[in-house]
Formats: sequence, structure tokens, C-alpha cells
Amino acid sequence: MIEGKLVDLVPFEDDYATYLESWMNEEAWFRAHLWERREPHTEDMVKKFIEKMEKNERGALIGFQAKNGDPIGCVIFDHEWSRVRKADVTVVVGDTRYEGTDEALDGLLMLLRYCFETRSLHRVDAVALTFDEVKFDMYERAGFAHEGTLRQHIRYDGDYVDIEMFGLLEDEWPGYETITEKLGLQPSGLEPKPKLEKKDDKDGAKDNDKK
Amino acid sequence: MLLHGLLVDLVPFTREFHEEKMHTFWNNESRWWATMGDNQPVTRAEIKRMNEERIQGHERGYTGIHFMMRARDGNIIGSAGLNWLDYWNRYGMLGSWIGEPDYWSGGHGTDALLLLAEYAFNWYDLRRLILFTMGPNIRAQRNVERCGFKLEARQRDGGYAGGEWVTSLAYGMLREEWQGRETLVEQFNLRERAEKRYGALD
Amino acid sequence: MLEGLLVDLVPYGKRFLDQEHRWHNSEAWFWATAGEWVIVSRDAINRYRAEEAERRAERHNIPSVYFGIQTKDGKPLGDIAMNWVLPYHRLAMLGACISEPEYWGGGYGTDALLLILDYAFNWLDMHKIWLGTMDINERVKRQMIKVGFVLEARERSFHMVDGHGWVDGLLYGMLRDEWPGREAMINKLGLKART
Repeated sequence: MIEGKLVDLVPFEDDYATYLESWMNEEAWFRAHLWERREPHTEDMVKKFIEKMEKNERGALIGFQAKNGDPIGCVIFDHEWSRVRKADVTVVVGDTRYEGTDEALDGLLMLLRYCFETRSLHRVDAVALTFDEVKFDMYERAGFAHEGTLRQHIRYDGDYVDIEMFGLLEDEWPGYETITEKLGLQPSGLEPKPKLEKKDDKDGAKDNDKK
Repeated sequence: MLLHGLLVDLVPFTREFHEEKMHTFWNNESRWWATMGDNQPVTRAEIKRMNEERIQGHERGYTGIHFMMRARDGNIIGSAGLNWLDYWNRYGMLGSWIGEPDYWSGGHGTDALLLLAEYAFNWYDLRRLILFTMGPNIRAQRNVERCGFKLEARQRDGGYAGGEWVTSLAYGMLREEWQGRETLVEQFNLRERAEKRYGALD
Repeated sequence: MLEGLLVDLVPYGKRFLDQEHRWHNSEAWFWATAGEWVIVSRDAINRYRAEEAERRAERHNIPSVYFGIQTKDGKPLGDIAMNWVLPYHRLAMLGACISEPEYWGGGYGTDALLLILDYAFNWLDMHKIWLGTMDINERVKRQMIKVGFVLEARERSFHMVDGHGWVDGLLYGMLRDEWPGREAMINKLGLKART
């Protein structure tokens, strides 16, 4: 576990795999994966995605949770490109109650800390749909600069919409300690979700379904 | 959730569908209607093979998108989707299959069709949707016609079903003919019908 | 084959692959890869080709369209491609390289660009075409303005370019509505066949 101010980064295992089955079909997922097709993700596809990320030498899939242990979502680090010290990074706030909270922002800050202070990256990119103000706000607070607008770039719910481009450079990153202090992060005080029932006993689960 | 309807939701397939429901649906009367007359028995082993082939198909670039149909009472009742998506000519072929006869004629198929058509036009910017059914399937014809599909071709003796030759019907709907899901939900009183069957909507 | 005034776009076959060792070790490749160091062995090129084929097979539902560029008398000049096509968004990203430097500035790349834009909009019905370059690539920047692309984003300090340090990345886009058609562009630019 890597401890942050409001959230901790944890290995993507146990309940996270189960939660991901619903997260990968939520709006937040598709907004974080703008280039991909908006199609249903089956259990098999979710499992495959986790396996792919576990084997991925240029990427990582990491869970993040509130201080009370409530899983919030995942951070994805991928396509690390050593020559230009760049990577594609994504924060998925799977539990929608946390959208726009400081916990979500801290997830991003912890990811940036990993990028700049662990991986020694030069630059981190971010994208958002033009109407996604929650995301803009999050990027702005984290110190990203707006670098341009890709006009009518992707098809989204009946229309072509713009994509806003953001970037943050290593010399603009003040360090995790400094930025969290400056931002004065406040916990949202959300109640944790009820614990998931154990799913590891596959046959047992099936019998329950039949009853 | 991807496609949230009134009587049904279109959701990702679960293992239960592939391992249990499919075997039922492929061996009951519903298959005859959905496939233009296929009815030979299918074993679990064959279902398993079909599912493996399906996964491989996706890896090789098969473009179809399929959903599991779940009724508001939580039961898995069938499937629906874009069986074929031709990006270059910008058309999609719809297909749907309610495997539980108890749920026929209750508006579930209509609800699914409206969700699918809206999804196809909104997210993939298609020019046109098409679908096929057979002469004896009067329910399907009524259903798709009132949703705005036009009968474009009748292939005489286009299929062999239940010991006789049947007409194969090709339907199409252009983008400008699509009235939008909301309009048709109103027109068909789908909200009322959903509440009558399943109680108040959330 | 797409027939232009100065070049034709043809399948990127053996005649082109045979040039790659020379091309990938030339200045042209430095520009095409946004600042890559250019010393590549034959083996490395073959491996790269094999990996590329594998990547393409893996990225299902994401087709790419790859052309070789050749002069009217059949001399291979380079490549132009829609190497990242998202058909469900009707969006394609272009990449191109005139690998023979003595043909730079002669309109060959522009002729190829007009051909592939026409193909993308009129045959594949794309909604938008976009591409990226680096800020120090003055030739491409001039070409973009000439052909009518819009500069949409400046990604600061994006490329590490041999000899130049960190360089901004530029993203250009053109919407279908903004494409006046190949004939109109040829007239506007005064592009003419040479005899």
C-alpha cells in the first residue's frame, strides 16, 4: 500500500476485480477511454483486461481506496515511452459517488506522484470531453495546462464533440507534499459501501443462483 | 449501465447466459422464430464451441456488438444487438431474440429495439439500419414496422422453416426516418405498460 | 492505385520494403519519427516489420490503410498512411514520409496528401482527419496551412529531438466540411503535372 493524504494506492486484486465488472460498463470508464468503442464489457473481457495489465511491462493497473478502505476506482498507467519519458495515464472514479470529490483528485495526485517521483517522467497528458467540467476542474487543481481543443473529434451520444487537451510537465510539478498542502484536501465523509460477498467459491455461487 | 430501458436493460453477457440460458434458448421454440426456422437440438458442447468461436471472431475483427436482455424483474430473457456493423457503408444489422416465451408480446422486444436503434444512430453515426425476419413471424413485422422500419424486399421462398418455404423479409430504416426513442416510448405507452407489469419506475 | 499529378499511391510492397534500410538510416526518418536517432540494422527493420504486423493483428477493429508513394515513372519515394483509423468515430490519423530528400519541396508530398484526403473523405466517409508533427518541422507546418488544416493543440515539450532538446508537438485537424475537394485544391495550389 502507498499512502496518500485521502486515498491509498493498493494492488488491483480481491474485490477490485469484481468491482471492475461494473466500473468497466459505467459512464466514467467510457469517458476515460474516449478512443475506444462504447460496447458492453463482459466478465471475460474484464478478466482479460486485468491479465493484460498484469503482464504489461509498460503499464500498471492500480486500485485506490479511501482511508476507511472503501474502493473508489483505479488508476491506469500505460504505454510508457522511455525515449521521451511519457506515458498515458487515466483515473477512473468507478464509484460514482466520489465524482468531483477530493478523494478523486487525490487519486490523480497519487498517480502524478508515481509518474514524476517514481517513474521520472517528463510529461503527463490528459484529455476530457468538452462538457466534462468535473474533469477540467480536477486537472486544473492538479496543475495541468490547457493545450488545445480537438474539434468535433469523436462521436458521442448523437453528436461529434470536442476533446480538450491538457499537459503537465515535470518542472511544473511541485511535489506531492507541496501540492496537497497547498490544495488543502478535504475528505468527503462518504459512508463505505457494504463489503462484497466472497465470490471465490464458484460452484457454491452457482448453486445459490439456482435457489 | 449501458442501455437502460423501461421493461428491459441491455447489459453485458454474464457467464450464466453462456453456460445456462443459451442452452435453453437454443432448444426451445424461440429459436425457430429468431433464426428463420432452425430447430435441430444443440448440445452443451456445441454451445461451448460456439462461444469460443465468438471470442475468436472478435479478436479477428468481427464488428458486431451484442447485449444480454434482462427484464426488470431480474430475469435473463434473451439477447439483442448489432449482428453486423459496416463502418464503411455506415449501416448496421439488428437482431434480437427473446428466449423466454412468457415474455413475448409484453413490449420487451419493442423496448429493446428502441434502445438499440438509438444506440446505433447516436454512437456510431450510421446512415441506415437493416433487419430480417420471415413471413410467418407476424409479431416481429408488426413490431419493426411501427418503430419506423420499411419493408424493402421480399425474397420469395427465402427460407425453409417447419416443413415449408417461407418468404424472407428485408427491412430498412434511414436515419431521417428514425423518430427518436422518446417519441416512440410515448407513442407506445411503454412507461404505462412497464409500470403495470413491474410496478413504479424509479 | 490512386493516380495523382506528380505521384501515384500504390500498395506498399517489396519495391518499397527493399528501400527501407536506406530510408530508415537517412535524415528523412529523423523527421518522420519526430527526432529518433537513425542507425538501424537490416535485422532491426525486419523485426520491426514483424512486430508491426503482429500489433495490427492484435488491434482488432482498428484498421489501417497504408500506401507507397511513387513518382509517375515508378520510383519509390516513401509512404503515406492512415495508421490509426477509428471507424466508429469516423476519425483517422495520417502519417507520411517522403524518404528521398531530393524530392522535398517539389510538391510530391502535397500531391500525395491531396490524394489520401480525397480517399479518406470520399471513399471511407471519414468525419475528420488529423495528424501530429513537431514544432521544428517548418515544411510540414507550411504544408498544413497551405492545404487548410487547423492547428488545434500545442502539446508543450512533447518530443525529445536529437540535437534540439525538448520540442512542442503540434496537432492539426481537418473536418469533412472543410475539405473543398481535390480538384479545387489542385487549382488553388497551382499543382501541375511535370513532363
